[in-house]
Amino acid sequence: MGASLPPKEANLFKLIVKSYESKQYKKGLKAADTILKKFPDHGETLSMKGLTLNCMDRKSEAYELVRLGLKNDLKSHVCWHVYGLLYRSDREYREAIKCYRNALRIDPDNIEILRDLSLLQAQMRDLTGFVETRQQLLSLKPNHRMNWIGFAVAHHLNSDGSKAVEILEAYEGTLDDDYPPDNERCEHGEMLLYKVTMLISYIQLYSVLDLFDYKCNYISSSWELCFDAEIQNLLFSQLSISLLEECGSLERAIEELHKKESKIVDKLSYKEQEVSLLVKLGRLEEGAELYKALLSINPDNYRYYEGLQKCVGLHAENGLSSSDIDQLDALYKSLGQQYTWSSAVKRIPLDFLQGEKFLVAAENYIRPLLTKGVPSLFSDLSPLYDHPGKADILEKLILELEHSLRISGGYPGRAEKEPPSTLMWTLFFLAQHYDRRGQYDVALGKIDEAIEHTPTVIDLYSVKSRILKHAGDLAAAATLADEARCMDLADRYINSECVKRMLQADQVALADKTAVLFTKDGDQHNNLHDMQCMWYELASGESYFRQGDLGQALKKFLEVEKHYADITEDQFDFHSYCLRKMTLRAYVAMLKFQDRLHAHAYFHEAAAGAIRCYIKLIDSPSKSMVEEEEEMSKLPPSQRKKMRQKQKKAEARAKKEAEVRNEESSASSVSRSGKRHVKPVDPDPNGEKLLQVEDPLLEATKYLKLLQKHSPDSLETHLLSFEVNMRKKKILLALQAVKQLLRLNAENPDSHRCLIRFFHKVGTMTAPVTDTEKLVWSVLEAERPFISQLHEKNLTEANKNFFEKHKGSLMHRAAVAEMLSVLEPNKKPEAIKLIEDSTNNPAPINGALGPVKEWKLKDCIAVHKLLGAVLDDPDAALRWKGHCAQYFPCSTYFEGERSSVISNSVNSQIAKKPENGDSSHPEGGKIADFVSSNGKLEALKDLTI
Amino acid sequence: MVCVRKATMDDLLAMQACNLLCLPENYQMKYYFYHILSWPHLLYVAEDYNGRIVGYVLAKMEEESNECHGHITSLAVLRTHRKLGLATKLMKAAQTAMEQVFGAEYVSLHVRKSNRAAFNLYTETLGYKIHDVEAKYYADGEDAYDMRKQLKGKQSHHHGHHHHHHGGGCCSADARPVEAPPESKSEAKAST
Repeated sequence: MGASLPPKEANLFKLIVKSYESKQYKKGLKAADTILKKFPDHGETLSMKGLTLNCMDRKSEAYELVRLGLKNDLKSHVCWHVYGLLYRSDREYREAIKCYRNALRIDPDNIEILRDLSLLQAQMRDLTGFVETRQQLLSLKPNHRMNWIGFAVAHHLNSDGSKAVEILEAYEGTLDDDYPPDNERCEHGEMLLYKVTMLISYIQLYSVLDLFDYKCNYISSSWELCFDAEIQNLLFSQLSISLLEECGSLERAIEELHKKESKIVDKLSYKEQEVSLLVKLGRLEEGAELYKALLSINPDNYRYYEGLQKCVGLHAENGLSSSDIDQLDALYKSLGQQYTWSSAVKRIPLDFLQGEKFLVAAENYIRPLLTKGVPSLFSDLSPLYDHPGKADILEKLILELEHSLRISGGYPGRAEKEPPSTLMWTLFFLAQHYDRRGQYDVALGKIDEAIEHTPTVIDLYSVKSRILKHAGDLAAAATLADEARCMDLADRYINSECVKRMLQADQVALADKTAVLFTKDGDQHNNLHDMQCMWYELASGESYFRQGDLGQALKKFLEVEKHYADITEDQFDFHSYCLRKMTLRAYVAMLKFQDRLHAHAYFHEAAAGAIRCYIKLIDSPSKSMVEEEEEMSKLPPSQRKKMRQKQKKAEARAKKEAEVRNEESSASSVSRSGKRHVKPVDPDPNGEKLLQVEDPLLEATKYLKLLQKHSPDSLETHLLSFEVNMRKKKILLALQAVKQLLRLNAENPDSHRCLIRFFHKVGTMTAPVTDTEKLVWSVLEAERPFISQLHEKNLTEANKNFFEKHKGSLMHRAAVAEMLSVLEPNKKPEAIKLIEDSTNNPAPINGALGPVKEWKLKDCIAVHKLLGAVLDDPDAALRWKGHCAQYFPCSTYFEGERSSVISNSVNSQIAKKPENGDSSHPEGGKIADFVSSNGKLEALKDLTI
Repeated sequence: MVCVRKATMDDLLAMQACNLLCLPENYQMKYYFYHILSWPHLLYVAEDYNGRIVGYVLAKMEEESNECHGHITSLAVLRTHRKLGLATKLMKAAQTAMEQVFGAEYVSLHVRKSNRAAFNLYTETLGYKIHDVEAKYYADGEDAYDMRKQLKGKQSHHHGHHHHHHGGGCCSADARPVEAPPESKSEAKAST
């Protein structure tokens, strides 16, 4: 390096590298300039200067210099390496890998470059490449522990666990017997546990891989030779060998574990590992004992109870007979005597007990918790509401408690009096119970009584707010949440809850103001964004979407998407860190986590939200722009000019203000290295530029692909795929979506809609002309017979068939009605009658929830929109609204008599707080625009082809 | 009611969400990765019956100082899930791991001077003592108590007092996100 330079300059060159490493960029820059004065064309110096500038946020100069340097010295590995580092800093990993490879062509044994390359290979999951590079590093420096470990991990990731184990054992062979020294016990113990984990996991992987190979072999052999019985036999014997190996390996794993017990510091992981091996080996008695030992360490870990149940053969997975239930009951009673302080031993039996026994156990569980005033009691029991009959038992039980508390001040059959708060917590429970059953008026009665009883308990207001939200009065819900917030301004949780309610009520400006109270620098957007506060961004995006502000909505959804890109990026630094730290189990788990990161719910929501924005953008091209132009054109030219000037001035002012703010905030943060910590001015604060994309559907497809890859079992994924591909006129991809929908849930009303719409659309297309069109047609013709819904039926018949099957369900009737009007537009009155003839039956008696009405508020809102906007019958819509206002008296959407939109109603008293009018989004108040918060699919329904 | 267990990789996003709901001191995901990839034994979560993460403890080892000790980076329990003794259970689990796996001498934490609920939990239930006061420790200018609890030689016993009743609010030990996660070494190195 710096070879071609005379000694003085060569020393300066070393200084540049050193300064770069110690982040003293100004110093490095000076040294570089000194060399360049004498040798202006020196390639490596030009490159290093570029790399230094890159760290000082002077990107374009950096690239220019690095490229020039390389041009001047193509044979220098330094120049190639620097070029790679530059690309790497911009996350252009593929380009960076190419550069490193060029550098290694010149200097094949350069450890630094090999290491950098290996990191990128791990990041990009180029696993074969990773193994090769790691092997090279090990053969160059076999005396480094990290190189052994790295080679083993590489093999493990590349699905060769046995090789990985071999390598680790070879490494252990190089160690002295008294290894490890005290200060490395932790790391060594981790390595040993890692090895055992691998012994267990690779065999599972193996059997899967073998099956896969078997399949591949089968396919390739059936191409070349005819199916050969001999080959089949051979493959089967291979399979059985691997099964034998599997058992052998488990034995080996447990032996290994026991042998190394003294060297494994993490005793808890040791025991957990041991018990899982015992279970896999079928040594269940030992397993049960060990689970009991683990429970005495932590009697609150539910997984230990599950494990224990499996060991004694009483696991719910296999279904429980009544004698099983008795045995389980006895087991938990004895555990309960051992772990008196564990609530788990009392709660778990409520899951499997039935009838009278359930009643007794539930009462014993609930009484002390009501006395104590545990606020989460209802949410703890709420999963039981999905068990048939249990909601009824609970209702009866709590009502009896309530009655007794009112009459005698104590629980039934007890002489002692309860403290007054017990009645309040009982009412609190009942309010949530009736809320869960959809009996909002009863729920509100109970919670109001509780508030009257003790007006100072914040939880009561939070729950009332939630009930109001469910009942359909989002504005009143937000007001109550705000009231709760004001009762304890130091508690961020109630602040967050309030912000959420405000966003649900489309009070975005107010929500922003409220959220800012808990963010550090007073600049809530930056702070919430920097801290990756995704729930907030999603809720705010949904609100903007409801209000038709696609730019802001898209901006929020894409911000969340960006967080996921950053999280993917986060792993980079840990590829080397974990090899040093030896936290190998956690490292491998992290890589696997990263591989499925985009399946996470927040990402799904954000991607779906963005796709909906793009679809809406296509369906109604930039409203604001078009309107603006129209308004402008109506004005006389002189005024038009004035308007334009005014706009420009406002823009310039805003920009300047933003710059000043930034300078202020950055003035103090220029570090001595000369790197500027300037927060870039947001060039698109309202997301307007996002709306100017050339091809919205292309953008939508980007996110759609991620959903298809990571959420293939979500109905919403394929509904979106259907909408996007129909608009792109990608007939076969739309067909794929329909098929996926039918696979996931053929009885879903939306699946039915897509099926009918698809074949209806296909039926109206003109006969194929081009070869491609003909091909598409032939595929359709080949596929249609396999769709059982259309078997020997035309679309009208299929629609009728669906109706007969789901007569009793409102949403199914609505879907049938909508499709009827699509297929036969002249039958619209019939379609509307289908909907209006629906009856709001009580849900089936033996249903889990008991006697409640079937119709859900969000469904009724969707039907109202269908009648008005799609079937275009304002009278029918009005009639529907009238009915629904009776079912949902709190609903602002239907203007129910108790809702806050009706002046002097109960809820309007609640919502009459001045700040509610303070929204900067006048649109937000328009009830017609709002969709319940989980009404994403409804929002989608407005988007018809 | 609530399952208390070691955190896994899949809990991290939920831990971050829980932190953002409850506490004013927040961290990016990378900081959570840094913790679990450095001291996977020291992260615990409380998971309710619906599978929701309702509390967590995020802890670390201070390895530079000569006396090996643990530090609680952040502890939070959702307001809706108080009165269950979750904070106590989470803290005890992390402390035990610090002692058993790393042989920690003591464990330290910071708490806002104004956070009485948390202060009571630390002093009365968990046996922490004020070691020092750090002026203006938090971004908003509030002071912090620097608290410590000795671990070694002190066997922890169950005294039948496992449900600690501390009043309201969320107990929290918040550290400012000061130290940065590792930067890959190679970034700072050109080939030499």
